[in-house]
Amino acid sequence: MHRKFSLSKEVYAQMLDGLNNLYFSDKLGFSSDLKFIADDFWLSDTAVIEQLHLRKGLWEVHLIFAYPSAPIRFLKRRITSHANSKRAAQMAFYMRRLAAKDQRGTISINIDNFNLSLN
Amino acid sequence: MPTGTKHRILEASVLLFNREGLANVRLQQIADETGISVGNLAYHFKNKEAIVTAVYESLFEELKQILSTYLSYPSLNDFDHQLNRYYAFFQKYRFYLIDLFEIERSFPDIIAQWHEFVGKMIIQIRRRIDYSTNRGILVPEPTKGLYDTLADNIWMTITFWIPQQVLKGLPLDESTFKSALWAQFQPYFTDKGWEEFMDTIAPVEIDRG
Repeated sequence: MHRKFSLSKEVYAQMLDGLNNLYFSDKLGFSSDLKFIADDFWLSDTAVIEQLHLRKGLWEVHLIFAYPSAPIRFLKRRITSHANSKRAAQMAFYMRRLAAKDQRGTISINIDNFNLSLN
Repeated sequence: MPTGTKHRILEASVLLFNREGLANVRLQQIADETGISVGNLAYHFKNKEAIVTAVYESLFEELKQILSTYLSYPSLNDFDHQLNRYYAFFQKYRFYLIDLFEIERSFPDIIAQWHEFVGKMIIQIRRRIDYSTNRGILVPEPTKGLYDTLADNIWMTITFWIPQQVLKGLPLDESTFKSALWAQFQPYFTDKGWEEFMDTIAPVEIDRG
């Protein structure tokens, strides 16, 4: 027959001490701790552009997240790679659809937004 | 927790133990109270000892749940809620206190478990005092060992308040029980302690009173 599990008084007292301390050691965080969320808000409104690159025999799918109101603010990430270019294109299409807030692709970047000077 | 007929047998047993006393209850009475035959009763529990053991199992399970509510949130309300549950518990199982010596003689295993739970109850009360002291609700321990005695006294009030009311022929009610307990903390309250007490505990007590 198994003996019933029981804590000794000392261990139980220590456990409660730990619980008491928890309320004093737990502190409220700073609002700046969550700043990274606010910093990334712009990403939710970006135009997503897919790109395919052939690299070391594999077609890499890249997504570019560009902010329409300030196009210079963009982010480029490699998502996946495929040996087959058609499959990579298909994957890129679906990845773009998945990532873009605006799935029909009406958010777009105009080259004029960059204010490029060709002089 | 057993269900169905077993559960009904245990409920009826607790009722009869409270009314008649543990030693005076016969299996026939338990069967009658449950509304089943003694044969059926014997199918579920072979003798009275088995019933008493099962009653104690659910009693300890309930006590364990009360103990597990320690410091669910950091305010005096936490203890107040635990007191509500202690009151309901000791009222439901008041036969234990009345038949304490009978149980001690006949069921040494049960008494050993009781000792363990009693120890935990007192430790919890003592740690709660420590916690309230650190939070600035109670004054620092005025003399060494005083809060140990206070914890013992509070445990005594929680456990023996109901029998002493019965002995005095006074009615049982939860708010008097809780007033008796809070009265033991009050001499040690700081200003902050009084403020929190008046804000959170006293209005509820006055409403009930």
